[in-house]
Formats: sequence, C-alpha cells, structure tokens
Amino acid sequence: MQFRLEKRAEPSRFMLYATPVGAVILTMIVGAIIFSLIGYDGIGAVREVFLTPLTNAYKWQDLGIKAAPLIIIGTGLSIAYRANVWNIGAEGQFVVGALAGTWVALATYTMSGPWILPLMILAGVVGGALYAAIPALLKTRLNVNEILTSLMLTYASIQLIYYLIRTVWKDPMGIGFPQTRRFAASAQLPTVIPHTIVHLGVPIAIVVALVAWFIMSRSVFGYRMRVVGAAPHAARYGGFSENKTIWLAMLVSGGLAGLAGVLEVAGPFQRMVPGFATGYGFTAIIVAFLGRLNPLGVIFAGIVLAITFVGGEVAQTTIKLPDAATGIFQAMVLFFLLAGDILVRYRIRRVVTTPAGAA
Amino acid sequence: MTLSRRDILKIGGAAAALPLLGGTAFAQEKLKVGFIYVGTINDNGYNYGHNQGRIFLQDALGDAVETTYVENVPEGPDCERVLRELAQQGNKLIFATSFGFGDAVIKVAAEFPDVKFEHATGYMKADNVGLYNARFYEGRAVCGTIAGHLSKTGKAAYIGSFPIPEVVMGINALALSGRRINPAFTVKPVYISTWNDPAKEGDAARALIDQGVDIIAQHTDGPAALQVAQERGIVGGFGQGADMSAFAPEAQLTAIIDHWGPHYVNSAKAVIAGTWTAGDTWEGLKEEVVQMGAYNKKIPADVVADAEKIRTGQIDGSFKIFTGPIKDNTGAERVAAGVAMTDAELLSMDWYVEGVGQPV
Repeated sequence: MQFRLEKRAEPSRFMLYATPVGAVILTMIVGAIIFSLIGYDGIGAVREVFLTPLTNAYKWQDLGIKAAPLIIIGTGLSIAYRANVWNIGAEGQFVVGALAGTWVALATYTMSGPWILPLMILAGVVGGALYAAIPALLKTRLNVNEILTSLMLTYASIQLIYYLIRTVWKDPMGIGFPQTRRFAASAQLPTVIPHTIVHLGVPIAIVVALVAWFIMSRSVFGYRMRVVGAAPHAARYGGFSENKTIWLAMLVSGGLAGLAGVLEVAGPFQRMVPGFATGYGFTAIIVAFLGRLNPLGVIFAGIVLAITFVGGEVAQTTIKLPDAATGIFQAMVLFFLLAGDILVRYRIRRVVTTPAGAA
Repeated sequence: MTLSRRDILKIGGAAAALPLLGGTAFAQEKLKVGFIYVGTINDNGYNYGHNQGRIFLQDALGDAVETTYVENVPEGPDCERVLRELAQQGNKLIFATSFGFGDAVIKVAAEFPDVKFEHATGYMKADNVGLYNARFYEGRAVCGTIAGHLSKTGKAAYIGSFPIPEVVMGINALALSGRRINPAFTVKPVYISTWNDPAKEGDAARALIDQGVDIIAQHTDGPAALQVAQERGIVGGFGQGADMSAFAPEAQLTAIIDHWGPHYVNSAKAVIAGTWTAGDTWEGLKEEVVQMGAYNKKIPADVVADAEKIRTGQIDGSFKIFTGPIKDNTGAERVAAGVAMTDAELLSMDWYVEGVGQPV
C-alpha cells in the first residue's frame, strides 16, 4: 500500500487559522504524555508551562517584556517571508541595532534630555537596517543566497559585541568585566505601568504589529510584498521589480530587528553585556510562522512563545522539570504546525496499484 | 565523600538538641532555599559543583530546608525574572552562583528586603546581599607545580571566560608556580566570552595544541577541553569545578574541586537561627571549599610530593603563591621581594605576571 500527497485546489481558510491553535493544543497533549512516560508529572508540566504564566498576574509583566522583542522581530520577518525573502539573520540585526543604540547612549553619557532616547531608537533602527543591507546588496548584485549571508553575519555581530566591550566601551568601574557602563537615566527606557517592570517596548511592540498589519493589508507596499511572494511571475509582469522588493524586505525586517535590539538594551539590560544575544532573533522565526506571517497572528504567537519561556522556568522551580523541556515544547509547536500545514495544503491519497495481469 | 561521617555526627547532635528547643523548633516552617545556575547541572564542572553543594545542604539539614534550582539562566534580564520568581515562591535564601548575575541580584534584592541573597564570585554587596567566593587560585598553584614539572614544551594554555580578576588570578597563579619549577614556562591565555560552550572550549583547545601547547588549564565550566587533550594525547590538563577524570582518564592530571556544601549549610543555618548577615567570605584549601582531585597515576612520585608540599603549605599558611618578587609581563616589578599581596589587591588584579602572553 502506498500513499501520495496531492495538492488541494484551495486550502480551507478555517483550517489555515485553526492549525496554529491545533499545534499548540497537540503540543500540550503529546507533551503531557511524553513527560509522563519519562517519569515526570506530565500534566503538571503542561499546566506549569502553559497555564501558570497566564493565571498568575505576577507573570503577565514577564510575558509582556519577553514577548515584546519577539513580536517586533517576528512582524518584520513575517513581512520579509511573505515576499519570499529569507532573512535568517534577525539575531544579528537585533545585536547591531542594540550596539548602535549603545553607541548613542555612551556618547551622550554626561548629557541628559528627552531627545536622547528617541535618538537611540533611531540609531537602532538604522543600525539594524544597515546590517540587513549587506545580505540585500550581496543578493541583488551577486545573487548570493541571503539565508547564508544573513545567518553568518549573526556570528560576526556577536564578535563585534565582544570586541567593543573589551576595548573602547569597557566599563571603567567594572573591575575588568567586559561590559559597558550602566546607561545614564536619560538613556534608559521608562516603565509604562508604575511598580512593574513593563517598559515602553511593550506598547511599542503592539503598535508596530498593528501598523504593520494595516500596511500589509491596505497599502500598495503590502500588496506588492504579498504578490511577489505568492506569484513572482505575475509580479514581474505587473512591473514590480524583484530587486526592489528584496531591498524593501531586508531593510524593513532588519530595521525592526534593530528596533527590538535597542529597546532591549535600553530597557531590561541598561548596558551592553557579553550575553546580550540570547536568541530572540531565532525564536522570532518560529513566531513569524506560528503567526501565519500575519502581524496580528504574530502578536498571538509572540505571547505563546513567551509563555513557554516563562512557564519553563516556573516548571523548573515548582515541579523540577529540566530546562531542556522548554526547548522540547517549543520544538513540538513548530513540528506540529509544519506537519499540520502539509495536511492543510495537501491531501493524502491511497495509491491503489492494480496487480499486473488482473482485469 | 570524606565528610559524610562527620556530618552524620553533626546531624545526630542537632537532632539530640532538638527537644531542648521545645515546640518552637517543630512549629517552624521549612526554610526554602533557591539556587540559580548559569549552566546545566550536567556540565560535570562548575554548575555541577554548585548543585552538589545544594544536595549536600539538603542531605545535611533534611526536613529543615526545601531546595529548588533553576539551571541555564542567562546573565541578564532573564536572570532578574528567575530571581523574582524564586522570591515570590517563598524562597528566603537565594544563591546566585555566577559573576554576571550581579546587576539582577542587586535589583531584585531591593524589591524583597526580607529575602537573603548570596552572590558567588561577585563584588556588589547590599544589606540583604552577601558575597561568597573560593580561592580557586590556591588550586591553580598546585596545578602549576605539576605543569612546570611535566610540560615538555614548557608551554601551557589557559582557556578563560572573561578577563575578570578571578580568572586573571588563576592564570597568574598557574604561571608563577610553573615558573618556580621551570623558569622558561609560559602560559597563553585565551578568552572565549562564555562560561559554558563545549564547542568553543574544544575548538580553543585544538587550536592551542596545534601551537605547541602541551598543558591546558581552563576556567570554563565543562570537560570539553580535557576531552580534546585526551584525544590528542598531550601531557594533560586539570579538571575545573569537579573531578572530570571520567571524561579524560589519561589527560586529567588532577582537578580543582569546588566544595560549596559546608558554606551553604552554614548560611542556611544562620537564616534559620535569624543570625544571617550579609557576609563576604573567601575560603580555600584550608576550609576545604577548594579541594584537589586525585593525582593521575602517570605523575612521578617526586612531582606529587612537590605538589603536595604546595597544597599543604597553603593550608598551614606557610606558602603564599602571590609573594614577591613578582614582575608583570612587561618586565616591571609589581610586588617587592618578601611582600605578600593583600586580598584587596588580588580582587582587583588586572595585570599578568611574567611569562603570561598578553591576550588579544
């Protein structure tokens, strides 16, 4: 007996949006079974990882600040991926954006004023966009695969952090530890809700996603990105330049990653440290796909991924689940999503082979 | 564990004394103690060592404490969230076991004044933030003695994380003690900007061996470098944080074993008794916070004897590795003959002794 995948003429719109939700639910069910089988409290694991962060009001602020960078980067990536431009190096653009913001913060260390933070944010966006311009240039001029170049530039950006904080930016008071000095008050992102740690980056993330959704669904720019991705030939026929699209996709996704970077360094970190790059740019790739490459979906997906991070820590402290469990849950979400996608877009047909000689 | 018999006596003594305290001792709630580790407890090195300390505490105080740990906590805002989480769950004593947790500890400690924090290897104190550290460099002096004797090329390497005083001190102790044996002995430091990344540690070890190094010391958390040393058949290296001989039976010459357990027990007892104050301890071989692993069988007896002399000398106080004359690696004299460096000088050390290559 053989099976064949057959493309569906029109994937069900309901299923398209139900799959991400289904993937999360399946992850919970299968996760509970797996962890029970290897001797943990499986149901407890799912409860602590997925539900406790939602039911405990203390955890909401953690979810907000963890989800914010994921949403901002994921929004940019969803725009680029819509246009079939595969920017895998958001982590690097995130880092360079943060470095550009750090540069402004250190250069204005002895000054104060409400203009410093906006200038840092601007520097961050420009920094991230410029770093994404390198793969864009290589792609459009030399036809070098942007997946490879953007990914490799991530590792270069981390070396750039190490170089700067060990030499010119080293904290004079840090007894030799390679990190910058703590930013002055004017260069720190303010909190928006008193007595919490929720900083300005959280509302910015929501606004970015909403604006992106509006632009993608209501403007010529959005139309262009969608058409180039969905029907490259038609797009070319319609006069949309492919190179211009690559440039736009890389600059927008890089700029947003840079924005997330500068908000992260000015908010939770308040200084540049060697461990700054914790993988937001890579996790945001899952966020973009889980969000169906739709900025509104990205908000939902960013929160789901934030839940698994925060919940993973809760599970470690309450039911002694190992840290690796977080990675297993995240990987399962992506796995079920991709597997579900196949079934939404294709149907499985049994291939009946007629025995030779019969009939 | 050699201490177990003594601990049983201690626990027995404590149990015998309990009735004297009357009902209050039984009415008391369990002390919840939290630990955060920068790496995984399975690194078989530094974080493993801290977790062994946690288990030691749990075994020693039994029902009086309930311990929890969180592993792989990044040094940054994530750490802040984990500390807050532990404090909110009712942990009244929290150990933050990596240097880079400092900012977060100070911040969260200010929000939870009734929770006691202890930060390992850090430098920022507060009313409810104590510091504790170990004199790892004393172990390095023993390692350096062995390295000076055994190295054929006279070249050793030191894989470090960050150029902070704790690491600089270790490099210098290795070089000073190696050069007491072989004046041509040199140490090449390499910084890999992380405490725990087996791939980077292994790559660094490979590159250094290609450059003619035959002794590899490390200040990173896992056994990756030692495994490379084993594979390449060089003279060897040293376990860091825990005995790593299982991973490199030929290459591990000895190990610096961190034994945090007794400190954890003392702190927990102080919190239970209400006598805890923000301390600043820096203990070493003498207090058995730093211990040496077994010497490898391939080390000749006279070398072992020499290494033992350094070990016992540091325990009885007759030998101090940072005693002048000490020149730095530019040739300038830093410490005059016969003068021992003070703890304050050691804790801000940012220069390398003669024989250490300037890291790039």
